[in-house]
Amino acid sequence: MWRYTIKRLIQGVVTVWFIATATFLAMHAVPGDPMSGDRAVTPEIRKNLEAKYGLDKPLAQQYVIYLGNLARGDFGISFTQQNREVNDIIREHFPVSATLGILAIVFASLGGILWGALTALYRNKLPDILIMFFVILGISVPSFVFAALGQLALVKLNDFLGFSLLPVAGWGTVSHMLVPSLVLGLGTMAYLTRLMRSSMLEIINSDYLRTAKAKGLPATRIFTRHQLRNAILPVVTVLGPSIAGITTGSFVVESVFAIPGLGRYFVQAVQQLDYTVIMGTTVFFGSFLVLMVILVDLLYGFIDPRVRLE
Amino acid sequence: MVSSNPQTEPGLDDFAPLAVEQRRQQLSRPSLSYWQDAWIRLKANRRAIVSLYIVIALLLFTLLGPLVWRVDPSAQDLDQVSRAPGAERMVTLAAPYRPWNGETVLPGSRDLRLAYPANTQAVRMIWDPVPGASAYRIYRDIVPALAGEPLGLPIAQTLTGTETRYEDRLDLRAETYFYTVVALDAAGAEMGSRQALSVTPVAVITVAEARSRGLAPPSEPLNVGDKVRFKLHPLGTDYLGRDMLARLMHGARVSLFIGIVAPLLFVSFGVAYGSMAGFLGGRVDQIMMRFADFVIALPFLLFMILFKIAFGIGPGQSGILPMIVALVMLSWPGTARLVRGQILQVREEGYVSAARLLGARTNYLVMRHMIPNTLGVILVTLTFAVPSAIFTEAFLSFIGMGVAPPTPSWGGMSNEGIKSMLIHPHELLFPAILISITVLAFNLLGDGLRDALDAKMRSRE
Amino acid sequence: MTVVQTQDVGEGSPLLEVDDLRVEFDTYGGSVKAVRGVSFSVAAGKTLAIVGESGCGKSVTVQSLMGLTPMPPGRITSGRARLRGVDILGRKEIDGREIRGREIGMIFQDPMTSLNPTMTIGRQIAETLEVHRGWSRKRALDRAVELLDMVRIPEATQRANQYPFEFSGGMLQRAMIAMAIACEPAILIADEPTTALDVTIQAQVLDLLSDLQRDSGTAIILITHDLGVVARMADDVVVMYAGQVAERGSVEDVFYRSAHPYMLGLRAAMPSSTSDRAHRLLPIEGSPPDLFSPPTGCAYAARCPHAMRICSTRDPAPSDLGNGHLARCWLHSENAPRVEALDYGAGRPASGLTSGLPA
Repeated sequence: MWRYTIKRLIQGVVTVWFIATATFLAMHAVPGDPMSGDRAVTPEIRKNLEAKYGLDKPLAQQYVIYLGNLARGDFGISFTQQNREVNDIIREHFPVSATLGILAIVFASLGGILWGALTALYRNKLPDILIMFFVILGISVPSFVFAALGQLALVKLNDFLGFSLLPVAGWGTVSHMLVPSLVLGLGTMAYLTRLMRSSMLEIINSDYLRTAKAKGLPATRIFTRHQLRNAILPVVTVLGPSIAGITTGSFVVESVFAIPGLGRYFVQAVQQLDYTVIMGTTVFFGSFLVLMVILVDLLYGFIDPRVRLE
Repeated sequence: MVSSNPQTEPGLDDFAPLAVEQRRQQLSRPSLSYWQDAWIRLKANRRAIVSLYIVIALLLFTLLGPLVWRVDPSAQDLDQVSRAPGAERMVTLAAPYRPWNGETVLPGSRDLRLAYPANTQAVRMIWDPVPGASAYRIYRDIVPALAGEPLGLPIAQTLTGTETRYEDRLDLRAETYFYTVVALDAAGAEMGSRQALSVTPVAVITVAEARSRGLAPPSEPLNVGDKVRFKLHPLGTDYLGRDMLARLMHGARVSLFIGIVAPLLFVSFGVAYGSMAGFLGGRVDQIMMRFADFVIALPFLLFMILFKIAFGIGPGQSGILPMIVALVMLSWPGTARLVRGQILQVREEGYVSAARLLGARTNYLVMRHMIPNTLGVILVTLTFAVPSAIFTEAFLSFIGMGVAPPTPSWGGMSNEGIKSMLIHPHELLFPAILISITVLAFNLLGDGLRDALDAKMRSRE
Repeated sequence: MTVVQTQDVGEGSPLLEVDDLRVEFDTYGGSVKAVRGVSFSVAAGKTLAIVGESGCGKSVTVQSLMGLTPMPPGRITSGRARLRGVDILGRKEIDGREIRGREIGMIFQDPMTSLNPTMTIGRQIAETLEVHRGWSRKRALDRAVELLDMVRIPEATQRANQYPFEFSGGMLQRAMIAMAIACEPAILIADEPTTALDVTIQAQVLDLLSDLQRDSGTAIILITHDLGVVARMADDVVVMYAGQVAERGSVEDVFYRSAHPYMLGLRAAMPSSTSDRAHRLLPIEGSPPDLFSPPTGCAYAARCPHAMRICSTRDPAPSDLGNGHLARCWLHSENAPRVEALDYGAGRPASGLTSGLPA
């Protein structure tokens, strides 16, 4: 297990390096190379950038400086805002995104497991058909539509009640988090429900479930001890990629609900072409996702004895 | 024991030996080729077939639609901005606007009230003076204000406390407005006194305007009070008065073009890359697949954004090409991995070794085993790649990194529509519904194809 | 050779009696008649072997007894199964006792996939005891270790805490047996217990089953397509073909005095240790009929070297040859021509199978 962990971590570092390099090259491939050209940048920012990125030096040397900064955990400085460091931005906005994301992933995985188990239990009956209908909707409707509809529903609900039950936008209290995290988790939940359903059905036809039946175990015990536990395993394996989906989903949800998270900041940086912030946050998000995938894999190893003991 | 054959006793004749030809059994099931069988299974899948029809309908909508509905998607109809589908098109002809001197034609003497019938030229209102008021501030909102919430847009403020009338001419439409008049004290602070009124102006247009927009044949005499009809927009108009139907048709072109061309390109590239790695094997295979692993590890949408920025969009360009290039660059490794795996697997399969032992030639092996066993997987991947490409386009356009305006795309239209979602939901709903239906259809079709082509499923009959 | 004393399946009250069992499966191509009127019985402490080639309905027969056939698509269209005279078909318990796991234990063909991969072996065995006997977790686990020891798994205490993937195939099958006999069932059904195992391991598992039967008096229903295993283990044999019982009787009757051409064909296709080098294995030409639409006559007619006209038009009824020996074949009709191979009246043992049979 230790060797596996270390191997995964080394792989992760190499992946992050690849992400950082690809980001660096992509940003320097921008037409007119805004990193070294003068595009609407004040002299002060210009000076900061030059000091930070060694913009007067050749590309290879810039790359080395850039990697050195990253290795020290320094993601750079803003291209459009004076003296604003990407680290500050991350420190300020990431906790908001993380809170929202954790709520969303908890909601998505609990919902996915519950609904998926229900559909498999009521296979081809009304609950299954209803849930799968919503699952197909959840997979086919883009996240921004959910976000917009969620907000619309909130407005209508507040109108109907005559007072503000849940805030329509903004951030701060639990009531602010509820609907955005639901909306953010919805697509992932639909996907996990589908996965859970097929994994449940696969196990229903498995030899070991037949053995459990032949042992004369009560149906509830077969369901909880044998079917559910094994069916959840594949759901855990896709949690890593799901976190990636939720991260990018947060760009949209945070923008629509005006939540001051890193996702919304990233979208603003993209729209304002704040190159250094885009670069820094991309590497940050990339490293975060790589770390999450590794964590989920290790968690999976902890749950599945076949992986744990190898 | 029960006899399963309670017939008459058999005669001697029955015990004569059976001729060999008579023994031959009849096969009760006809033998079907792989693709015949797959097609039968697909046809039996009602959802997949409905989806197939939807896909065909979408293609017809985008290819033939503009030939039938010949409205320019970028033409603005300024009389009808943000019109919902099925909105009242009748408009009353009115005399040209004349300034208001404060006279009233409507009854009423209390609170905030209309002085004239409200129309889209002007809403004229008067109110009761408030003792101690030094001025009045007029708010306009499109929804009734809840207690404690803002009153809407402050559109004007009177100069004196004696002036108790206001004429609103600000971008009026035939919609319901909620006015609130608040008295201000000497210091300019709002006093407690509020008077509220909701108004729905009648759509009007002057004769000259109706003539210049061609709303009536030139020969027809037009008089004040007559009614004419605005131009037809079956699905309404957007915030710039552009025809939604025409924009959806042209937007479908962009969305479906990206959704179909990009997957075709990256699946072909992935197939070429993967089969090369699979066939070459050894070190080359390892290096090629390691590179593919790295590309897979890149966070997809983040790098889509990054690449889109890197390619840049010049003035006057739509940005479709950069998006396709970025999609191809980031999406190929999945297919490559899959195809390589399939080829390695099929190559080691017992039936391929058996065929080889029986003297099958490479051509036969490729045609009979390799292609059927990989083509199915490739086809399914392709079908599932379409909705994800459409999703990506929509996502990018939504955050403003997609196809550049004014080129319409469903994602871009949703992005514009979401801004006025609360008042004009149709501007968001139509493109969103189309995206959802398209994605849904391709997903269900992919499901059906996968079930139909999966040879493993066949043994479970 | 003289007639050997056999267990008379028709007399007394057998432990388990199955009568005219019929099972169909609904598929989108029509219904498959997998089991078409199967009858047999098992006595306490005896072993009944059900033999037949793949797809002849052996497994479906016993799985529908245990309620393990998925329904739908499966359907038991008729038949009865009585355990100690009480009907068990479609029931979960008799006289307050669970049938599955407690009255009838079952082991399966592929031990690698038949155990829950994420639960320790000990827990999987103990589970049965907890459920059926209401034992505490601790007590059940201790018993599980004893059971593992009983099925000759070394270091049972440590092994009980391991997961299936840490076991070899043979050990897994033994663990399966331990699980199946945990509640000391009256009947143990073994569905091709050795098919997935190495030959050397096969013998060990079969020996284990014999020993357990000797010690506990459990009746065993052994499903197999291996005639060698039948000869070694069985007291009585049911030969199935296309969902029907082609022949049944004591192992001596069925092997030495085979009364159905299918059994003759099987014997000719079987290698033998005593046969001379010139002895050739004769395969049975053709393949079993499609059970989507079983043939109108005898299911074996198309492959039978002795087929007669009536065979292709009418399904033969089972003929009682005495001593509980039944064969479903027109050749036993009065008017049928005599076939030398079936002419067992002289007591001549058929070639090939003499050795290896318990006399």
